Amino acid sequence: MVKKLLLLAVAALLMVPVLPLSVGAQDDLPKIGFLPGVVDPFYQVMELGINQAAADLGIEVVTQYPDDWNVTLQTPLLDSFVARGDLDYIIIAPVDKEQMIAPLQAAVDAGIKIITVDTFLGDGDYVNGPVTFPLSYIGSDNLEGGRIAGEYLAEKLGGEGKVYVQNTNVGVSTTEQRGQGFIEAIEAHPGMELVGMDYNLDDANTATEQTAAVLQREPELAAIFGVNVFSAIGAGNAVNNAGLGGAVDVVAFDATQYAIEQLRAGTVSLVIAQKPFDMGYLAMEFALADWRGVTSLPLRVPTGYAVITADNVDDPEIARFIYQVP
Amino acid sequence: MALDAKAERLTQPEVAGGARRSNTQQAILLLSRVWSWVFLVMLLVYFSAAGTGFFSLRNSQNILVASVPIILMGLGQTFVIISGGIDLSVGWVMGLASVVSALIMRDVIPDQPVEVQVPLAFVAGLGVAGLAGLINGLITAKLHVPPFIVTLGVSFVARGAAWVLAEGNVVAGQPPQLRSLGNESLFYVVRGDEGGFYFNLGALRGISDEVCTVLNGHLCRPELSGAALRGLDRVFTWPVVITFVVLLVLAFVLRRTQFGRYTYAIGGNREAALRAGVPVDRHIIMLYILSAMTAGLAGVLHTARFSGGAADSGDALMFTAIAAVVMGGVSLFGGAGRVAGTLVGALILAVLETGLVMINVQTFYKYIVVGIIVVVAVLMDQARDLITGRAETVA
Repeated sequence: MVKKLLLLAVAALLMVPVLPLSVGAQDDLPKIGFLPGVVDPFYQVMELGINQAAADLGIEVVTQYPDDWNVTLQTPLLDSFVARGDLDYIIIAPVDKEQMIAPLQAAVDAGIKIITVDTFLGDGDYVNGPVTFPLSYIGSDNLEGGRIAGEYLAEKLGGEGKVYVQNTNVGVSTTEQRGQGFIEAIEAHPGMELVGMDYNLDDANTATEQTAAVLQREPELAAIFGVNVFSAIGAGNAVNNAGLGGAVDVVAFDATQYAIEQLRAGTVSLVIAQKPFDMGYLAMEFALADWRGVTSLPLRVPTGYAVITADNVDDPEIARFIYQVP
Repeated sequence: MALDAKAERLTQPEVAGGARRSNTQQAILLLSRVWSWVFLVMLLVYFSAAGTGFFSLRNSQNILVASVPIILMGLGQTFVIISGGIDLSVGWVMGLASVVSALIMRDVIPDQPVEVQVPLAFVAGLGVAGLAGLINGLITAKLHVPPFIVTLGVSFVARGAAWVLAEGNVVAGQPPQLRSLGNESLFYVVRGDEGGFYFNLGALRGISDEVCTVLNGHLCRPELSGAALRGLDRVFTWPVVITFVVLLVLAFVLRRTQFGRYTYAIGGNREAALRAGVPVDRHIIMLYILSAMTAGLAGVLHTARFSGGAADSGDALMFTAIAAVVMGGVSLFGGAGRVAGTLVGALILAVLETGLVMINVQTFYKYIVVGIIVVVAVLMDQARDLITGRAETVA
């Protein structure tokens, strides 16, 4: 009996969440909510940018991460941000360009302004597209990113060879465009052949399995493009497991520590780094600028890339773009 | 009637000695019945005191909206678990129903008026879910394959079918009125100049403007735009209304009808139920159809709310829904549980989700709390069984 009661008491204690520290904000500054797409190094670096800007500008910011890439997880967090009633701006990476329109419209109706980072709503054209309510879309030009990967491989392989793409989900705006840009670049070279593009649903294990199967099917495969963190990790794994490190070029999108290790080991030959820190920092500055009445904010800000190879990975000017989360 | 009485007796496995329980035993029994309600109230009080904007009309509605897929995936599940089974297919059946309903509207009957499209799409979504449930039920009841295996298998089939049909994408391009169905509400509360409480009967304007002048115009909310929209709260959105109607009906069915008594009887002791004349196989098949169809309803409501069919719409919340059922006191050993318990379980989850955001704590903590209370719920269940003597009859 005593044991049971003790157990209950312990359980009850565990259920009392820890009260957070609240940071006092000045009255004439906006309060901002940051809602990334999922927990991963890319968004964690973006949060570093957000927090740096918050410190520099004296703005208070609250952050919530969904633990999976899914509208049913991101939407309740968004709704709760709106219900708090104290947020003026929400910086969000929408996990679906169609399904997140209605929930974000509700936030706008409640008087909150939206900035999308990394991913976008509708077609990303906030002037003439189907969705025009966000203040701005700050993120990589993903078509361009895919083209960089394709051009690099075409040049390295001398315009000849079979290539393969590891993609995530069909509906995700950014990765779709990376795949598309890559294919455009490859198609410009008649000697290059795309043997396939598989979708791993953002799971590195699935990416490994799929890539391993393609390595079996296509013994002459020359290169693989992994469109994001998990795709590149999976592709790199499979190439390593097959003992083909160095023989099959892997181009990785996103400069995670793992991708950089693989680059040093020779499994990955090119890492295309986005600039999530810039995205976070700029989004905060945009919010403050809008708060101050600035009306000429650009609706689209491509943040550009850093291209990392084994030759320049130790150059501090390049190495600072590696996604490092303290 | 005699048969009902027998089934009824099977559901009341109180054993001799009940009259001479010690005070401690009485206290544990009481606690095991009310602890989840108490915990929910504690959470509400705590978050109201500590959170920013938690105690507000808008947030109360957010909690209800967030609980919709959990409640619906848990509702049919409640019946299945009471009967001694389990349905692991609800998550992907929800996704399949979402995709099918969206495809119907976008590709199959795109030219029909929306009044035709939406009901047909809902029927198709529920129908395909019911089919999955029928397969679950048939194989479980007739071929005696454990439901854990059958529903796991059907889950994968539904998952594959949903992704194939959706071509790996979100089935967007839905009629705009669908978004209203998924996001507008039965009532509105408007603050500000034209403040007040309104019914959502604006559609009546189509019939006659006069209608909207009845009750000082409170049948139709004023047209709001821009900053005035900030003062608008949607109370009981349509998915919430639909969910709670279904919840009330099923609560009634479980407590007050032969269907409910059979469910308890089969979960209490399947052999005895069979001997008492309960059509066990047929009933089990119906239970799995019910479970799949409430999940299917969650799917079509997802399509409406997000104006798009998504194969993975139910995946993220499936085990959360099963946890809600268990937290609500439904016994995994079968034979005991109530629909109200599942509602409390779902509300605890939704309150935690929104509450943690309000106090600036990462919602990951939610899972730790849920994990602990699932285990506590089962301990409570066992303690109750020990005291009432039910454990012997089950084991």
